[in-house]
Amino acid sequence: MAQVLFAPDAPPEHTVYTDDEQLIGGEQNLVTIGEKIGNVCLGEITTPKGWWMCFLFGFTLLQGLVVAVAYLFYMGLGIWGLNSPVFWGLAIVNFVWWIGIGHAGTLISAILLLMHQKWRTSLNRFAEAMTIFAVMCAGIFPLIHMGRPWLAYWLFPFPNNFAMWPQFRSPLAWDVFAVSTYFTVSLLFWYVGLVPDFAYLRDHAKTRIQKLAYGFFALGWRGSAIHWRRYEKLYLLLAGIGTPLVFSVHTIVSFDFAVSIVPLWHATIFPPFFVAGAIFAGFAMVIWLAVPLRHFYGMTDLITMKHMELCGKVMLGTGLLVSYGYFCELWFAWYGQSEYEWGTTLQRIWYGPYAWAYWMLILTNTLIPQLLWHPYFRKSEFWLFTLAGSVHIGMWFERYVIVTTLSRDQLPSSWGRYQPTIWDYMTFLGTIGFFITMFFLFVRFLPMISITEMRELLPLKAGGRGGHAVMENAK
Amino acid sequence: MRKHEQEQWQSLDQYFGTPAFHQTLKDEFPEDAAEWLDPVTRRRFLQLSGASIALATAVGCNPSLKPMSEQKALQYVKKPEQITTGVPLFFASTITLGGFGLGILGKSYQGRPVKVEGNPSHPASLGSTDLYTQAATLGVYDPDRAKTCLNRNGTATWDKVKGTLTQIVDAQRAKRGAGLRIVTEAVTSPTFAGLMDELQKTLPEMKWIQYEACGLENATKGARLAFGKYVSTSYKLGEADVILSADADFLCSSPGGVRYTRDAMARRKVRITNDAKRRDGVAPDAMSRIYSVESMTSGVGAVADHRLPLKPTEIESLLREIAKELGIQGVPAAGPLPENAKAWVKPVAKDLASRSGKAVVVVGDHLSDTAHAVGHAINHKLGAVGKTVVYTDPVQVGMNGPNADRFADGAAALKVLTDEMKAGTVDALLLLGNVNPVYSAPADLDFAAAMKAMNEQKKPCFRLSSHEDETSLYCEWFINEAHQLEMWGDARAYDGTVSLQQPMIASIVDGKSTLEVLSALLLKPNNDLLAMVQATWQAHFTEKKLEGSFDDWWFKVVESGVIEGTTFPAITVGEPKLTDLPTTAPATVKDEIEIVFRPDPTIYDGRFANNGWLQEVPKPMTSLTWDNALIMSPATADKLQCGMTFNWFGGEANFGYRGGEHGNMISQIVEIKVEGRTVEAAVFILPGHADDCITFHLGYGRFPKGAVQAGEDGKGLGFNANLIRTSKARHVLGGLRIGSNLTKTGRKYHLGCVQGQVSMEGRRPARHGTVAEMTAAMTVVDHGNHKHYHMKGDSHAFDFANNPNSAAAEREILRTFLPGTPEERSRLAMQYGPKPEPGTHPEFAHIRDAGYVDNVAHGDDGEEHAREHKHAHDPRLINLTLIADHENNKLYRRWAMAIDLGACVGCTACVAACVAENNIPVIGKTEVTRGRIMHWIRIDRYFATPAEHGGTEKQDMVARWKSLADNTAAVESFVMPLPCQQCEKAPCEVVCPVAATVHSADGLNSMVYNRCVGTRYCANNCPYKVRRFNFLQYANYSTGTSLNLVNNPDVTVRTRGVMEKCTYCVQRIRNAEIEAERECDTPGRQMVRTPMGIRPLIYDGEIKTACQAACPAGAISFGDLNYDQYVPVVKQGEKYVDAGRHNGFSEVSRWKLEPTGYGVLADLNTMPRTSYLAAIKNPNPELAPPTAVKGSH
Repeated sequence: MAQVLFAPDAPPEHTVYTDDEQLIGGEQNLVTIGEKIGNVCLGEITTPKGWWMCFLFGFTLLQGLVVAVAYLFYMGLGIWGLNSPVFWGLAIVNFVWWIGIGHAGTLISAILLLMHQKWRTSLNRFAEAMTIFAVMCAGIFPLIHMGRPWLAYWLFPFPNNFAMWPQFRSPLAWDVFAVSTYFTVSLLFWYVGLVPDFAYLRDHAKTRIQKLAYGFFALGWRGSAIHWRRYEKLYLLLAGIGTPLVFSVHTIVSFDFAVSIVPLWHATIFPPFFVAGAIFAGFAMVIWLAVPLRHFYGMTDLITMKHMELCGKVMLGTGLLVSYGYFCELWFAWYGQSEYEWGTTLQRIWYGPYAWAYWMLILTNTLIPQLLWHPYFRKSEFWLFTLAGSVHIGMWFERYVIVTTLSRDQLPSSWGRYQPTIWDYMTFLGTIGFFITMFFLFVRFLPMISITEMRELLPLKAGGRGGHAVMENAK
Repeated sequence: MRKHEQEQWQSLDQYFGTPAFHQTLKDEFPEDAAEWLDPVTRRRFLQLSGASIALATAVGCNPSLKPMSEQKALQYVKKPEQITTGVPLFFASTITLGGFGLGILGKSYQGRPVKVEGNPSHPASLGSTDLYTQAATLGVYDPDRAKTCLNRNGTATWDKVKGTLTQIVDAQRAKRGAGLRIVTEAVTSPTFAGLMDELQKTLPEMKWIQYEACGLENATKGARLAFGKYVSTSYKLGEADVILSADADFLCSSPGGVRYTRDAMARRKVRITNDAKRRDGVAPDAMSRIYSVESMTSGVGAVADHRLPLKPTEIESLLREIAKELGIQGVPAAGPLPENAKAWVKPVAKDLASRSGKAVVVVGDHLSDTAHAVGHAINHKLGAVGKTVVYTDPVQVGMNGPNADRFADGAAALKVLTDEMKAGTVDALLLLGNVNPVYSAPADLDFAAAMKAMNEQKKPCFRLSSHEDETSLYCEWFINEAHQLEMWGDARAYDGTVSLQQPMIASIVDGKSTLEVLSALLLKPNNDLLAMVQATWQAHFTEKKLEGSFDDWWFKVVESGVIEGTTFPAITVGEPKLTDLPTTAPATVKDEIEIVFRPDPTIYDGRFANNGWLQEVPKPMTSLTWDNALIMSPATADKLQCGMTFNWFGGEANFGYRGGEHGNMISQIVEIKVEGRTVEAAVFILPGHADDCITFHLGYGRFPKGAVQAGEDGKGLGFNANLIRTSKARHVLGGLRIGSNLTKTGRKYHLGCVQGQVSMEGRRPARHGTVAEMTAAMTVVDHGNHKHYHMKGDSHAFDFANNPNSAAAEREILRTFLPGTPEERSRLAMQYGPKPEPGTHPEFAHIRDAGYVDNVAHGDDGEEHAREHKHAHDPRLINLTLIADHENNKLYRRWAMAIDLGACVGCTACVAACVAENNIPVIGKTEVTRGRIMHWIRIDRYFATPAEHGGTEKQDMVARWKSLADNTAAVESFVMPLPCQQCEKAPCEVVCPVAATVHSADGLNSMVYNRCVGTRYCANNCPYKVRRFNFLQYANYSTGTSLNLVNNPDVTVRTRGVMEKCTYCVQRIRNAEIEAERECDTPGRQMVRTPMGIRPLIYDGEIKTACQAACPAGAISFGDLNYDQYVPVVKQGEKYVDAGRHNGFSEVSRWKLEPTGYGVLADLNTMPRTSYLAAIKNPNPELAPPTAVKGSH
């Protein structure tokens, strides 16, 4: 835009504008946006019933996690359904599932930022929060699925009197680095983006506690030009660092399988296949989270149907990539002429005890999302929510199918079965509870949508910048 | 300079010396590990393994036997002679089963027996054992053992018991003993016999009964039918070219089973480079042929060349037909036979007759006496007597005396006894040892009622037993029995050879032996067992006029365990007469079910029911644990409507249960009603079992006394077959009809079966071929007195020993990476060996040749076959290890194992041996059904139907079921022991994030328990699935139980959350290495030049792994693949000079050089150090095999 970035003749605050790109609904200006988002955190509006329902639901499930993990540490892994051929069970399924869900946040905040996608602005804050909580949920599993979790620190390279490093050839060692880096960068990115918003909240805070808390995290933000300049540079840098992480984390997680010699795990297609699946799942979760925000807090103006439709399109695209992955698995197994690969494929899709899970996965991940081709489904909140649910189920089953592949590997004598126990499910549901609890606490106390960026999104004549300053300045 | 060193404390606790601090000092695992121990699981485990706190008290009475953890560790002030802390001692002793002795060497640490090995100088053992013997040490420490003498009406001490016995004997003297009855198990002990003779002289009308629940009475009576007198029959199976086994599971479960297995399997190990001196097996043309007619699929059937499943009555008919075909006069008429059995008669008879003097028929102990008599007649006709069959005086005591009939048929004698008991003519009854008639006597005797009658008449019953059991409940007096490893004694082997029992530990419950009870009855003041045994042999020494002093002789006997010259000489028995045989034909009725009662393969007649090791060892062929079942064929199960159901999801077919499940089988419960007696039992479907026939193992369904046999629900494990076992139908119960006698209840039962999948799915892990195929692929060079075999063309491997079709194109390459093969040797030579000199053969060509000829085949014709080569060392070994110090690395050896599938009979002795050696925990049925069995070596078993071409075709589950059900006779079975394959390129190692599983320099794939954090990635990535994980705290860390005493101190007891697996018994390897280094440069130790310098040699065969040592078949070989690279040296002054050529090949190398060698899943390029030799079968060309389909291998 060949316009000046800062309009000295900014219109008075009561002037309202609507957005022609349908990224902001209603009639908004700097004040309405600030209040719409900020008042939630400052307790200016009554906490909606929906919030309480969701929070209490999540908090209840979270208690299950506490009990399940306590009992697990007390008894040992035997309380889970793990057994001799299937040494990994639901813990790894859930780990990969959660890590995948986390991906959309980083993609939205980092990659779409670099790609100058304005529509990311309404979504990035809560999507990043989703990433962080999802990675936290994911991070629980590798820890608790260890036989001796109290020795988990042995996976980190640190100087010790054993003179031992981790074994760097193992993908599990890479996992530690990948996931911890991912978490750190995501958290930083999120926090940096939050700083101007903290300042807004500090400035509008009504109580002393709010002032102290938001003021502490605002790091003395005064909105000076040098602050903005440094903020924008840092934000851009973090976006640059975050971008490869979107690909690296799930690639490395997929190595947990691909590096092994287990039939159907041992596949080069896994890294891109997993990344696509992660984004697929992540956008499904964004849809799931956007819906309550739109309804409980009336955020329909800020998270518009346009956003929802775009999420649906991304899901459709990545869903096709994932389906291509399923096809490739079959193709390579057949074309590779390996007795075990093909035999296990037949077990997976037809003869084996988990064939139902495979077809469940094809149904929910490949077939049902095809409805998104039609605008009707993309533009219906109900249908988007339903289809995203289907994707959640499908992506979970995808990992379930992969893990239960262990039940039929090379030597038929050791073939077996895997059946999760109540403790497996309790742990899984518990992490969902943890996620919901954390997310709704976030919604209540932190700006769920970036105030700063939404204001910037306003057209210039409305006091905004017609886009994200970081994007525009980076041109 | 400071004069006074300040005392330093680590904490205030230390300063004040608080109890907490002392506890910290005592705790081996002061933090984390111990805290996570779970009391619930532990208690569960304690129950399982039979722990009880009371025993701790009992043990505490004997200060030397306190658990080590409770003992103060003090140095010996005076070191006891022979005992060095941490160094085990071996004692020769004997373990008996059914009275027959098996010589053992017991390994003892500081007076604590922990492991049993076979005694190489004992004829029944030759160094191997069966699985019962392997579990003997656990029996010593069983916390459920009876700890004291008991009296139902008051207190009891041994002195009190003796006093009462004295009164009884005094009273009986007047009646000449007419009111005294003694019941024992079968006895062969000469000392016992001597005491009993003495007692019989004092009390001539006293009656002694020998009763075995699974005895040899049919065999004994059969011999009497044939020869008019009782004789013992033993076999020399090593001499037999053709063996016909008539339902004789002689390979695992008869008195001579261990020896028979060794002998018979020596003729099944086919070697191209066979060398008789090295006992390396036989040339292809010297292989024996085994026919197995059997009701239940057995180990014999698995190794046999021809197998025919028949009902017991049909087996007898077949024997009669064969006898007739052989021209034996007076054979009674045979019953109806199915077509496939009829087809057997002529070819089998012809084959047997053609090997006159080298053929033998072995008849199963449970077949009728008529069948045994016919068997004797056939053997006589075949000229086998004195060659492959040896008759001796009866080994069992008293069988040539006046009461022989009573001893020959214990069940009949028990019947008389019960009548007498009810009639009140018995004044006192003594039940001594492993005899439990209330549980095991024929159901029609109602022994319990007789015992009640005794109680009502106030007649005393005495019971000597290791555990309180069904019978002891009815006995006023209970005497706790000493374990066999706790006492002096003697016993005869199957051939009469006597071996001694010597105590390896003072009885931890102060138990008594049968000898002591007898001596009390004889009113002897002294109960010294040693004196009693010595007295017997003093007499023998004097009688035989042996040289030297008795003390010297005795010392030698105790040391070797075996008494020379006591083997019974062969006797002539004359021609067997068939005139006394019943003329009726065996009553085979179509569609009528016959039930065969057999001793359980792991807990025998129930005497080992409280032994957790034996309960958890999967039973041969069925892979069942913790239960018995009604074992039947798929077709029979279909008839009972317990057959396959189709599970809609996943298209998975069930074998009446969830077939693919590993560990958990859901099966149907069937009710059996016979003559007013009923029993319910679960169905187990075994492919290849004879149709219309059910095998029902004894020993289960016991009164739940004892934590292990009580099961986890406290109701007792398994199903009591004795409830329907009557005097008339002791071994076979016929005439049952589905519907009237057998009904499906509709209830379900969970069986712990550790292998659900029965097909190889075309992957051929267990490979096999025929001698004909083998010889077709070879050229034979005949040197007159010996032959050489060469593979045709460039190949070194037989087609059938190659990899699955999918990998066929790379088969040469694959063998190139299989450690120990000729191809691999040549690759190493090319890569690392000296470069060929110009004008000579390339070095690798020599080594390729060497693969077969060099150092192995030395012709007696004086022809020099061996050539000198420079052997290539494999420098990769150094790179395999993480040990940084390469310079001083003395680990230059290359350990490897080879397993001959042709010889393996699947007896599971190796599994039991591994459990005993490596402290493998017992996890209980529930955990087994969860698929978490911990055994480091497992016996895989597969079945193939003709439609599946020997397991090479994939089949739909429904089609497979149908094929198995319709072709019972054609089902082939394969067994395959699978320990860790010790891959050189181990998939487990690369994926461990903490390097807890790594290679040692000598190529062992080591497991570092302390480093393991339990990610279990290694186990996922192990294609062999031989890694085992401690999902819960399985090992017993409690200090309050005697069970910890059974642990091998050389092996870590693993904690919860760590992975474990076979280590090739690394503790034995390291001990041998330490020993060798210690003996470095002593005269007894050969020094050799190795690629790492001059080192002491560990001789080939010096190290035996536990499984290898136990294996009765000798199917496992272990050793150093680099053995042939060492050059013997002698020291001259300060220098070493070569003293000869390279060592010959080690045994394991010779096995691996065989063209039948292959690696399981070698196509994954794991380079497994454990490799297999394909099973070679020797089918009779005239007897069309049921699987004569092209590619049937």
